Amino acid sequence: MSKIEIKDLSFRYLSRTKEQNPTIFRQLNFRASENESIGIIGANGVGKSTFLRLLVGILTEYEGLLQINDLPVCRENLTAIRSRLGYVFQDSDSQLFMNTVYEDVAFGPKNQGLSDAEIQARVTKALEKTGISHLAHQPIYKLSGGQKKLASIATVLSMGTDTLLMDEPSAALDPENRELLIQILNELPGLKLIASHDLDFVYDTCQRTILLSNGIICYDGPTKDILTDQKRLEENGLRLPLSFRFRNLNS
Amino acid sequence: MNKQTQAIHNIHEADELAQRDSFLISLHPLSKLLVTIVYIMTVMSFHKYDWNGLMTMSLYLIIIMITGELSLLGALRRLKIVLMAVFFLGIANPFFDREIAYSIGAYQIRFGMISMLTLFFKAAFAVFASYILIKTTSIEDICYALQKLHVPSILITEIMLIHRYLIMMLRETQRMFQAYQLRAPGQKGIHYSAWGSFVGQLLLRSMDRAQRIHDGMLLRGFQGTFYPNIRTYRVGFSILYAALWCIAIITLRLVPLFTIIGRIVIH
Repeated sequence: MSKIEIKDLSFRYLSRTKEQNPTIFRQLNFRASENESIGIIGANGVGKSTFLRLLVGILTEYEGLLQINDLPVCRENLTAIRSRLGYVFQDSDSQLFMNTVYEDVAFGPKNQGLSDAEIQARVTKALEKTGISHLAHQPIYKLSGGQKKLASIATVLSMGTDTLLMDEPSAALDPENRELLIQILNELPGLKLIASHDLDFVYDTCQRTILLSNGIICYDGPTKDILTDQKRLEENGLRLPLSFRFRNLNS
Repeated sequence: MNKQTQAIHNIHEADELAQRDSFLISLHPLSKLLVTIVYIMTVMSFHKYDWNGLMTMSLYLIIIMITGELSLLGALRRLKIVLMAVFFLGIANPFFDREIAYSIGAYQIRFGMISMLTLFFKAAFAVFASYILIKTTSIEDICYALQKLHVPSILITEIMLIHRYLIMMLRETQRMFQAYQLRAPGQKGIHYSAWGSFVGQLLLRSMDRAQRIHDGMLLRGFQGTFYPNIRTYRVGFSILYAALWCIAIITLRLVPLFTIIGRIVIH
């Protein structure tokens, strides 16, 4: 069972003086449980990526309580936490580092100590799910931006984690692949946290959304409510999703 | 194609060449590594004046280059800088070792010249043998062979990470160079006033990217051991290949083949 609990979380990037780096999060509270699909939205620089990086333990210098499946996020627990939590980077080039797609997708299962047959089954399934089986033996450098994104997602799916964190997953995807990703995410069980500027994507994949602003969560509730609240979105540097704008125009 | 693009292309080309479907590539990497080590050690064991004996060792390179479908010109082009550096290793020998070895008509060949050539060919043969190994074996396969030889895993991981860091750094260089050129049209290279910030930025950016990649690896369970991708190899052929080549190399070392052929031709 996947569960995230955050209580009074404060975080700032380390620097010599406090003035140089203002607080990213102040007394932040958040809770998420199994099978929820949560969108994380906010203007540039509010800390959407930082929020995800804190959850996976890339950043550990925080104050307050941050627990994944009842385990505090600290160096000692990282192996246990990461074995159940997959993270898709914003920049696919940071995610993919092996020679071919197959090798990269197999990297996680190999580190989990699975047998060769199990690794092969996991890789095949992940590639099929993301629709890139035909690219299995392609060198990574020959992939397009969208293909790299799908391969990045496959690398995480192959690990069989029950919590999925995604940073701008729809960036670089064409409409067809974007639709495919929406379908994959909607079919995928487990807890999902999706940080994105693509509000239409958030609308299509998340039932719940949190809005980050000035170091706090200023909204936490149903996605539809926040994404139709034009005033609130504009106050926080966002705009209505395009699909709603067209709907307004038509009506 | 600029130099950075060419360098990236060369690395990727080497990786792709090592993935081809050919006899040499289908062999177990340990057998190829073993033959290469035996070959290099044998080449190094020749006496500094044993020019004839050393030349017989070129047979291995010729045969492997043909069976591996490798281009000699391509190899020379890639290795020209290394070969030039190697040439300068023994350039002083003719001045110090002036004793006459042979006289051909009015020409006198000194021992220094022979030792210079021997030194050059020893190094060149070793470089070519390594080049052939790299061209016919992917970095993963080489690391797998090293793992089989019980080389410490930290060293193997280092090799694999350096290979990846090299590509990543070249890509960053390429990106920065392209960005520079697009905003400095008509300028050749990078102006010296920008060298400092260019190198500094390159270092910071490549370190930042390396950090992100490392984070990505850790998130996928990396705990310090890189598991090379193991393919299916022709084990029987590999044992035969290693055994036959080791015997052939040692035989070539013991029997001065070219001298014997020379004598037969003269008689």
